[in-house]
Amino acid sequence: MGDNIYLPQLARVAHIKEEVAGERAIKTFRLEFDNGGGFEHECGQCAMLSIFGRGESMISIASSPLIRDYKQFSIMRVGRVTSAFHELAVGDVVGIRGPYGNSFPVDAWRGKNLVFIGGGCGLAPIWPVIQTAVAQRADFREITVFYGGRSPRDIMYRAELEKLRGAVDVHLSVDKAEEGWDAFCGFVPANLMAKQPAPDNAIAITCGPPIMIKYVIENLRSLGFKDEQIYTTIENKMKCGLGKCGRCNVGKDYVCVKGPVYSWAELKELPAEY
Amino acid sequence: MEALLDKNRLKDWIAALDGWEAYAPARQDGIWSYQPAGDNPELNHPNTPQPPKGFAFPQREIFFKFEQVKGEAPRLTAVSPAPTFRVVFGVRPCDGRAVPRMDRVFSDHVDDGYYQARRDGLAYVGLACNTPPSRHCFCQSVGGSPVSTDGLDVLLTDLGERYFVAAVTDTGKALMQAAGALLAKPGAAERKEVARLHAAAVAQPQRGVNDAAAAPAKLKAGFDSPLWEELARACIGCGICTFLCPTCHCFDINDEVTGTVPLKGSRVRTWDSCQFPDFTMHSSGHNPRDTLGSRLRQRVSHKFRYFHENFGMHQCTGCGRCVSECPVGIDIVRVVNEIAGSV
Repeated sequence: MGDNIYLPQLARVAHIKEEVAGERAIKTFRLEFDNGGGFEHECGQCAMLSIFGRGESMISIASSPLIRDYKQFSIMRVGRVTSAFHELAVGDVVGIRGPYGNSFPVDAWRGKNLVFIGGGCGLAPIWPVIQTAVAQRADFREITVFYGGRSPRDIMYRAELEKLRGAVDVHLSVDKAEEGWDAFCGFVPANLMAKQPAPDNAIAITCGPPIMIKYVIENLRSLGFKDEQIYTTIENKMKCGLGKCGRCNVGKDYVCVKGPVYSWAELKELPAEY
Repeated sequence: MEALLDKNRLKDWIAALDGWEAYAPARQDGIWSYQPAGDNPELNHPNTPQPPKGFAFPQREIFFKFEQVKGEAPRLTAVSPAPTFRVVFGVRPCDGRAVPRMDRVFSDHVDDGYYQARRDGLAYVGLACNTPPSRHCFCQSVGGSPVSTDGLDVLLTDLGERYFVAAVTDTGKALMQAAGALLAKPGAAERKEVARLHAAAVAQPQRGVNDAAAAPAKLKAGFDSPLWEELARACIGCGICTFLCPTCHCFDINDEVTGTVPLKGSRVRTWDSCQFPDFTMHSSGHNPRDTLGSRLRQRVSHKFRYFHENFGMHQCTGCGRCVSECPVGIDIVRVVNEIAGSV
C-alpha cells in the first residue's frame, strides 16, 4: 500500500494559552513535532487534529507560515474533540495530519490595502494573513483589523491585537455595552459601517459566525467592494480532508480541497449550504 | 477474446483460477448476496440488494490501532488491507458501471491507499441482463445498458446451457486463459445469437429519467424549488438509499475504544449517509442542510448534477435499489423528472 493518508503524525503540546474563559472558552495550543516531522503550510490552510480515543477535528492553522518551528491552533470548546483538547496539558501528545485546503492569495494582494473583519474565534483562520502582512509590512498599504466578541471577556488575541497598533488600524467591538469598555459597542458589521473603509485598491478578508459573515458581506458590498475584493473562509464539518468523505460537500466542491478560502465571487455561485 | 463455457463447468473455471478468491451471488435466508463461490454457483440472480461495492470499499475498516499508556506518547500501528486477488462473478452491468465512478472518487485529488489496495486485486466478471428488466431498472436512461461492459473485466451472456464469455480487459483475458480447455471456441451462430440477445435486451422497455443530459442544468435551475420538501415529506431519514447505492461513497471516521488503562482502540472508517441530519451539523448546532428536502436535494443533485460537473458523467447507474428498497416509496427517477419538469 502507498502512503497512508489517514495516519497522523504525532506532535507535542509545547504551550497552552487560555484566550477566553467561560462557556465559549478558547485556548491556543502550540504543537511541536519531534525528529524532523511536520509540514509546511500556507495562510488559510487547515490541519486535522486528533486525540486518540476521542477522534479528529479539522482546525485552521493560526500561526504564520513564516514560523517553521511549530504550528499554533486556537480552539473553541464546543464538541467532543475540542472539549478533549481543553483538557490537555503541556507535554501531551496529539495526532496531526495536513495541511488541507487552498489558501489566501496573499502574494496577489501586495501593494493593496487590506481590511480584516473577524468575529469570535473567526480571528484564528485569518490571523496567519495578518501576521504575514505585518511581518512584510512594506509590501502592503493600509492594514485595518475589525474584530469583535460578545463581551470584553470573549476577545481573543487581546495582547497581540494591542501590539499590532501602530502598524495596523485596530477596531475592536463587543456586542453588548459593558462598564470599562471604551471601544465600539455593537455587532461587527455595524462597526464596519461606522468606520466605512474605502474599497479602492482594497481586499476585505472576513471570518466569523455564518450570520456575521452574511452581514459583513452585505455591508462591504454597500461600501462599494466588488465580489472579487471580498474573501472569506468557510469550514463545514469534515472527516477526511481529502475530498472523499462527502461531509463538507457544497455543490460540486469539497470545501476541504477547493476551499476553505473563497472570494465572494466564487462562493456566491455555490449553494448556500455552509 | 471470446469463448463458450458450459454452465455446469463454471465451478471448474473457478477452481482453475489459481491464486484468486472467487465470489458469486448466493441466496441465504431468502436474500441474495455475494458469497465465496460454492460448489454450484448460480449466477442467474435478480440483482443483489447490496451492490458489490464493499469489495473495494468495505462498510467498516480499520485505518490504524492506537495504544497509549498515560503519560507516554501514543503508539500507532497502521492496518493495511492484505494483498489479495478476488474475482466477483455475476456482477450486473449497472454495478459494473459503478466501478469507474468509485475509482474516480477514490483517486481524485489524492489516492486513497485503502481503496486502491483492495481495488488493485479485484476483477469483475459481469452477467448481461438478457431477461426483462425489473420494474425499478432505469440504466438505459442514465447512459448505461443491460449489456454494458463498463467497469467489468469479463462479460458473460446467458445462452441457456452455456455462457458466452467475452474479455473486456487484460485481466479478463488472463482469467479466461486460466480456464484453458474448459472454454470452447464460439462459432458464427453463437455470435449471432449473442448479438440478437443483446439487441433484444436493449430493446426491452424501461422506465427512466426523461432527459438525463439536461438534468444538471434543470436541477440547478430547480435548486430553490418548494417541490424538494414536498417530495421528501415521507422520508424517515433511514439512509438505506445511500447504503445500498453502488456509487454512494460518503464515510465517517471515528475512534473505537476497546480499553482504557492503557488506552487501546482503533481509528475506523464506516459508511455514512448524507441523509442523516448530523452528517453536516456543525458542533455549534448550525446545520447547513437541516431539512429533509435539503438532504434529498443533496443526494439527487450529487448523482445528477455535482458529479457530472466534476467528472462529466452521471453518478447514478440506474440500478433502482434506492427506489425498490425505500420504505416510503421515494423514487429518484420521479424526483429528477418532477424537478426538471417544474423549471
